[in-house]
Amino acid sequence: MPILDSADASSVEANETIIAIDDLSFSYDLGKTNTLRNISLTVPAGKVTAFIGPSGCGKSTLLRCLNRMNDLVDTAKVTNGKISILGQDINADDVDAIELRKHVGMVFQKYNPFPKSIYENVAYGLRVQGIKSKKILDQAVEQSLQKAALWSEVKDRLDTSALGLSGGQQQRLCIARTIAVKPQIVLMDEPCSALDPIATARIEELIAELQEEFTIVIVTHNMQQATRVSNRTAFFYLGELIEYDDTTTIFGNPNVKQTEDYVSGRFG
Amino acid sequence: MAHILKNYDDELSALKDSVVKMGTMSLTALEKSVKGLVDGDRDLCYDVIDEDEFIDQQEKNIDEQGMSILLRFNPVASDLRHVLSSLNICRSLERIGDHAVTVAKRSRKILKQGPLEEIRLVDPLYLEARKIVSAALTAYSDVDETLALSVIKMDREVNSIRKALGKSLRAKISEGSGHTESLLNIIFISRSIERIGDLAVNIAEDIVFMTSAEDIRHT
Repeated sequence: MPILDSADASSVEANETIIAIDDLSFSYDLGKTNTLRNISLTVPAGKVTAFIGPSGCGKSTLLRCLNRMNDLVDTAKVTNGKISILGQDINADDVDAIELRKHVGMVFQKYNPFPKSIYENVAYGLRVQGIKSKKILDQAVEQSLQKAALWSEVKDRLDTSALGLSGGQQQRLCIARTIAVKPQIVLMDEPCSALDPIATARIEELIAELQEEFTIVIVTHNMQQATRVSNRTAFFYLGELIEYDDTTTIFGNPNVKQTEDYVSGRFG
Repeated sequence: MAHILKNYDDELSALKDSVVKMGTMSLTALEKSVKGLVDGDRDLCYDVIDEDEFIDQQEKNIDEQGMSILLRFNPVASDLRHVLSSLNICRSLERIGDHAVTVAKRSRKILKQGPLEEIRLVDPLYLEARKIVSAALTAYSDVDETLALSVIKMDREVNSIRKALGKSLRAKISEGSGHTESLLNIIFISRSIERIGDLAVNIAEDIVFMTSAEDIRHT
């Protein structure tokens, strides 16, 4: 694959553009109607970028475009524009979606650990990559669980089922599983919506820690969460990007009235 | 556009009403304190001193209202600025009330000493200060940034009058007119009134922050 090798990724400085979306339109019905229309924005490396907007605005669709998860929908199609990651068009013919997803990991709304042990959940992606060395796997599992702030809670029961963990722990395990393969970008689609406030706080704290190493793009319906965890916020409405700016501007003094009306609870 | 939560609109509106009410109370305190001095009405001065506790209580009420909105509705953008500015403005209004009490207390002392012609010299300063406090309150009530900005300019006139008045009173003291204590009290009163003008400027600055998110303090 021509993009996203580790040499490319390490050369990206914090704040440099890692994702560039240029005039992107996207359709779920082979181009009859565009769910996303002419979206242009750039995501800085090493930062947390939040996508907000009412249901149906296209924020999750855009997130899923970033690692081509929408390829799984037969009638889904990019109808205009392009998405570049580290300068490479990710929808180019020679880019393999599976390979892309190694570099652009994803954490979902509902935690979804495999029905395997805690250890095997984290090691899974590495095993798929062909890594067999127990020493390397042990190291990677421990490092990933530590980064996901879960190690101290599970280190003595790595061989027990992941399904026995609490909801918050399962979500952190999913984050550990995602970061085990060392992606450059982690996409999070409402990662806390199924969690209680304490588990949510832990994930938010984790996001702050992970941003030192990963670029994070998060979709959230919780606007207070967006203000707490993100550096940049993009507001979408009816498939269009309405405003994209520093989070403090979006929630403190947005430039567009529609943004102001949405973030202040006047529609949604 | 109204908020989806009607309670939210109701509480923001109630907060604004409370601040406007407190503004009226503070302005009335200023009016009564100077009227007490000029008309020789010591009862009015006592009223101002006694009624200050109502202004203080109103400040507490506004703090409670503001905290309730912050807790329950997590305001952002212009709503957040509205709450923060309102809390700041009520702080300035409370201090205007305190300065009115200072004017009332010193007026009482002056009146105790007997009539004094120089009392009338306070009038132009008071009228100008009253004008800008009133303008600041209107600017808050009407969310009028232009009027708020004009308050800042109007304060220069208050400062200018106060400077001239101070000079004139110091000259009279130097002449040895025999009313030194009362003249000194008038100087202190003029200082309090000038401070009231400064507090009107603070209110105006908060209104500019509320309307445009621009912090123009200390500029």
